Amino acid sequence: MRLTVNGEPRDLHSPPLTSLLTALREELEITSPKAGCHQGGCGACTVLVDGEARRSCLLPLAAVDGAAITTLEGLGTSDNLSSVQAAFDEHYAAQCGFCTSGFIMAATALIDRTPKASREDILTALSGHVCRCTGYIKIVSAVEAAAKGDVHPERVEPSFEPEEAEVLIPGSPA
Amino acid sequence: MAKHKGRGIATIEYPTGMNQNGDPSQAWVKLKPDGRVDVFSGTVDIGQGSRTVHTQIVADTLGVPFDWVTNDNTNTDSSAVCTGSFASRGTFIGGNAVRFAAEQARERILDIASKELEIAPGDLDIVEGEVVAKGAPDRKIGIPEVAAAATWNYGELITGTGAALKPYADVSDDDGSVEIEPHSAISYAACVAEVEVDDETGEVTVERLIQVYDVGRAINPTLVEGQIEGGAMMGLGLGLLEEAYPYYPAPDHRGGEFGAYLAPALEDLPDVDNLIIENPSEDGPFGAKAIGEMANNAQPPAIVSAIYDAVGVWVTQMPATPERVLRALDGEKEPRREGKRVIFDDQLSIRTVSSAGGKGFFETDG
Ligand code: FES
Ligand code: FES
Repeated sequence: MRLTVNGEPRDLHSPPLTSLLTALREELEITSPKAGCHQGGCGACTVLVDGEARRSCLLPLAAVDGAAITTLEGLGTSDNLSSVQAAFDEHYAAQCGFCTSGFIMAATALIDRTPKASREDILTALSGHVCRCTGYIKIVSAVEAAAKGDVHPERVEPSFEPEEAEVLIPGSPA
Repeated sequence: MAKHKGRGIATIEYPTGMNQNGDPSQAWVKLKPDGRVDVFSGTVDIGQGSRTVHTQIVADTLGVPFDWVTNDNTNTDSSAVCTGSFASRGTFIGGNAVRFAAEQARERILDIASKELEIAPGDLDIVEGEVVAKGAPDRKIGIPEVAAAATWNYGELITGTGAALKPYADVSDDDGSVEIEPHSAISYAACVAEVEVDDETGEVTVERLIQVYDVGRAINPTLVEGQIEGGAMMGLGLGLLEEAYPYYPAPDHRGGEFGAYLAPALEDLPDVDNLIIENPSEDGPFGAKAIGEMANNAQPPAIVSAIYDAVGVWVTQMPATPERVLRALDGEKEPRREGKRVIFDDQLSIRTVSSAGGKGFFETDG
């Protein structure tokens, strides 16, 4: 089977009834979709299939042959976050992070489809995604901010990588 | 048949910061030759933010910018020991370990700066990455220069180690009794819940939670708020939805599948107002106590008293499922004892923990 995954054509050799989630994680080693429940109940495995947010644990590979799949890895990089990612970062919308890629993919699909999504739209689109850490509050405010375009990706600092300090070393042999 | 509004309050005090003896955390801090700081500690960040908080504690103790500090807690083999992220101990115990390590490193920085500046260490302070003479701010040397001097001129590694351990209890030889200072830090919290109860279906909706938490010092208010919000939803779950019974304590108490255990969903999200109170602890780093476990304790009793306010009955077993609310409403029709509301639940009351093997309350003939 052949899929386009994050813009790249990929041939898959897993059996056709393998779930898309398992194929992504185990065969392609794309690990942002998480296996929370493997039965459609938690949303942690959400990816975009031809632009639609879908639960990859419920999709057999055979059903998505030829489709374009986008995972979190296909959105932004740590230096250049997508607006939803930047909003999650700014609003501290992730704690353990297990639910986060699912929420970000669902929110991305929502905002692509409904650029000025209201709070109601957001609650509907994200319902069925479970988060055990954040109490959902900062997730909803992050997505509201992303929907309003109220994000500042340029403010995001790469964490824990302080710049190489320019140091004059007195008496150094170097 | 109608919907009724009610409001209830609960207050708690919670022993945060690890309330028993033992369970150490250790940390090691060292400076690179360019002045950046490495912290090695074992405290696991499971999303609560201890890595950020420990980095802040080290940065503030040393007096350097946050960005200069790299906190490496990822190597379980070589890292300093921490017994774990539990008992609300990450900030209090783990945070003290990194603080003590940073305090030691700070002293070494001041000693070396003192040699370079020819000013006594006691007359020096560290401000934003520079060692500055007190009262003479133009006499100063950057920490990068101090670290370089230590490395290349004095042949020294600027470093510090720290460990925090709750002292072990004294066990009496006579009668085996144990005496221990009870808690590391006592935190206080209160929660007001506003609910709507449907007396036909027994369904309870939490509309609003107003929560006040004393955390000693909020080293990172955003992270504290994140835990308070997360705790609000966990507490709502404990109050209304989550239950291991009837499986518990059978080993299959997890339930058969994901949907068998109800956790709060986005649909259950009430309005949540939070207030953080700073009531510093003598012993915690920068006065911190903790948030951690206490974040989900006050909501269930607040919700239950709000249900009482709404419909006049007490639900005496958590969670307050629709069935239990309806049973309580049914029970309310029973006559009260001598006109007073007295709660006795056949199932619950008899199971109350007894130190006398169950004989103390209910004397039986056999
Ligand atoms: S793993 Fe797919 S919905 Fe939970
Ligand atoms: S951040 Fe942990 S489950 Fe959502």
